[in-house]
Amino acid sequence: MTTTVQPSTDALISSTQRTIGILAKRSIRNIRRLPSAFFPALAMPIFNMIVFAGTFFAVTKIPGFPTDRSINWYMPLGIMMGAAFGGVGLGFTAIRDIETGFYDRLRMTPTSRLSLVLGPLTGTLVRIVMMTTIVIVLGVALGARFTGGVLGVLCLYIAALGLATIGAGWGLGLAFRFQDMRGAAVMQLSIFLVMFLSSAQVPLNVMTGWLHTVARVNPATNILRLARVGLVDVGNPDHLSWNAVWGGLVAIGVMAGLTLTFAVRSLHRLND
Amino acid sequence: MRRRPAETARHLVALSRRSTLAIFRQPALVGPSLIFPLFFAALGSSAFSRAISLPGFPQVDSYLQFTLAGTVTQGVLFGSVTGAAALATDIQDGFFDRLLAAPASRTAILFGRLAGSSLFGAMQALVFLLVLLPFGVVVQAGLLGYVSIVVAGFLTAFAVGALMSVVALKTGSAEAVQGTFPVLFILLFLSSAFFPRETMSGVYRRIADANPISYMVEGQRWLTIDGVSLTAMLQTLAIPAGIAVLTTALALRQLSARLRAR
Amino acid sequence: MRCIGKTERVNNAPIVAEQLVRHFGEVKAVDGINLTVNQGEIFGFLGPNGAGKSTAVRMLTTLLRPTSGTARVAGFDVVKQADDVRRNIGVALQDAAIDPLMTGFELLELQAVLYGIPANKMKQRADDLLERVGLTAAADRRVGTYSGGMRRRLDLALSLIHQPVVLFLDEPTTGLDPMSRLTLWEEVRRLNREGTTVMLTTQYLEEADQLADRIAIIDHGRIVREGKPADLKRTVGDPTLLINVSRAQTDSAKTVLARFGELRPTAEGTLGVGLKGGAERVAEVVRALDEAKIVVEHLELSQPSLDDVFAEATGHRLEGAENAPQAG
Repeated sequence: MTTTVQPSTDALISSTQRTIGILAKRSIRNIRRLPSAFFPALAMPIFNMIVFAGTFFAVTKIPGFPTDRSINWYMPLGIMMGAAFGGVGLGFTAIRDIETGFYDRLRMTPTSRLSLVLGPLTGTLVRIVMMTTIVIVLGVALGARFTGGVLGVLCLYIAALGLATIGAGWGLGLAFRFQDMRGAAVMQLSIFLVMFLSSAQVPLNVMTGWLHTVARVNPATNILRLARVGLVDVGNPDHLSWNAVWGGLVAIGVMAGLTLTFAVRSLHRLND
Repeated sequence: MRRRPAETARHLVALSRRSTLAIFRQPALVGPSLIFPLFFAALGSSAFSRAISLPGFPQVDSYLQFTLAGTVTQGVLFGSVTGAAALATDIQDGFFDRLLAAPASRTAILFGRLAGSSLFGAMQALVFLLVLLPFGVVVQAGLLGYVSIVVAGFLTAFAVGALMSVVALKTGSAEAVQGTFPVLFILLFLSSAFFPRETMSGVYRRIADANPISYMVEGQRWLTIDGVSLTAMLQTLAIPAGIAVLTTALALRQLSARLRAR
Repeated sequence: MRCIGKTERVNNAPIVAEQLVRHFGEVKAVDGINLTVNQGEIFGFLGPNGAGKSTAVRMLTTLLRPTSGTARVAGFDVVKQADDVRRNIGVALQDAAIDPLMTGFELLELQAVLYGIPANKMKQRADDLLERVGLTAAADRRVGTYSGGMRRRLDLALSLIHQPVVLFLDEPTTGLDPMSRLTLWEEVRRLNREGTTVMLTTQYLEEADQLADRIAIIDHGRIVREGKPADLKRTVGDPTLLINVSRAQTDSAKTVLARFGELRPTAEGTLGVGLKGGAERVAEVVRALDEAKIVVEHLELSQPSLDDVFAEATGHRLEGAENAPQAG
């Protein structure tokens, strides 16, 4: 039994890999072919980082603030905003493809539905790595200093890729449900709310009132903590340690699992 | 060709009515410019409640009290893009050229077009003042302060509307007008709308020092926190009025250019 | 056998639909279709916009789940064995749905990977197809720069990359100029000669008449006629006599005409009758009209066409339906 099944499984896996590869290639190629879509995705995080770090320059002087460099706090925020919106941006592309009918062509092929989601996702993640690298280089030039070394940088990348994956699943799922630009409005608004109702602007221990209540249970807070572990002061409880990291990893794992399931299920429902 | 003032006034009223109705009939466009500034104010009141004791902050009861002026300015800046986008749409649809062909005064046409978004600006300011009232944000300058801030909302919307009209008249594209939105956003952030200039440093501080929006916001802020003063009144009213005069002149020039090109 | 699939095939006819139904809320887009398309046939699905053609094709091509009923394509169930169906069909979609940012070659490459064509065969296959549809020179240009005819030809090439046994063409020539239309027809005939079963939907009578071995007329989600074009035309039988009279005399003219056959729906302002006994009775009709003091402004005898079949079956005409939607 196993001997006869084995080759076809192998073939299936390699075909899935090739599908993911070529769909990722299409997405990356579009950076060059449709720069008007990539440029804002890069400008937005840079702008966020600069104006937040500049406007709220003094915020680090609040007692208990985990760093004394405002750019250390707001550079990861810029990257995470870019990752979240870059992720849901995949939903925009899907809506465009649905509206032109191109998505029908993809759906008509005998390739696995999962690879129709994972392929473009891979392309998006490559874009997010590029964006993250550029913003880090710029942030360091403007005064950001990693306190957590290579491991800290790695955590920032993991957080960005994780958040982008969550956003992508959410964006694709909404795109498949709405099938038109109404979906895009829901994507942007929901991501905007989730990102701001978190420790985006100040850490949990500094905020008060209703925001504290909401941000404490918002998974985005955990992911932002993961993004910042390599940038807060050494000795702060949120500095590079298993305690500061695991919450973010769990949040990414659970949320990405949920949104990707939502995306694949919604893709199947396109037939209904 | 000279027109009687009464006739110009009649045109102005008719055109103002149209542009005002056009704005208030589009809740989808109007809603966000009321909701987002309030959302950011609510966010700030929780996030920056401890920031108000930092050196450089004025003596305030709450961050909300500090940020009232910023909220008003933010809302009015964003709201006025809507009016200008409507102008660009008018140009795209040819409605504007038909107006220009009619024997109505150019000033009446421009002012009529801007009346809607300016009134909306005043209304936004009033809404923000009233919504924040139950949260203990009281303008110390009393009735004069409230009136001044509402008038400032009107003038700011007029000034930005005229500036956007220059873009609209030049390009005739609603997209180009919407495209200037991020520029306004950046200008707002590069001012003291959310944090005092005194807490900033370096290049960022110097940009905020040079940004007229800083002084306009600070005028309203002193009216809110300290009460009536000549400087505060001047900053609140004269700055947007001055900018309005400047941008109106630009818009009228652009209008003449458009007329000549026809 | 070019058929590839993991599950055993059951029926030999490439397309079999039984009581196929699709509702969208209250709307019955497809309302119980029974259909068999035979091996090697070109089958035409003829009907106006919104008749249910595209909905039916979307179900047969696995894009849409039927509300009820079953369909087998290339021997596989379109719901339960969707992937096997997909492996065996090629589909050229309405409006040539193509990503304008990609080049023709890139699209073929993407399509090849999605159909699991081995990398070493891919280039050759893509080049062959580009040559076949005459796009070799344009292969590395972005599709956004293609003309309408080029897009349709690329679309056709894309649908052929995996050498399908059944080819679906959804309104393949809508919006094309007459020259491009002829080129596409020729290509479809060639594919058919090579053994591909073709199902095409169209709202053009001429296209159905020229290309299809058999047609089905679909109206309001139901198949109202099915058969060879020539046979269908014969069933309408008598030619149609068309006359124009003044508005005031319309009713009396109708009474006279009704004596010679069944009145038929026609364009606004024209009366039509299926003339029993054919051309030799025209003189008789003219005399009768004359006796009734009816002034005939225009008279014409028209041999049965697919449009007559359509009119007879549905009560309205297809030709000119785009210009005069009120006719339906």
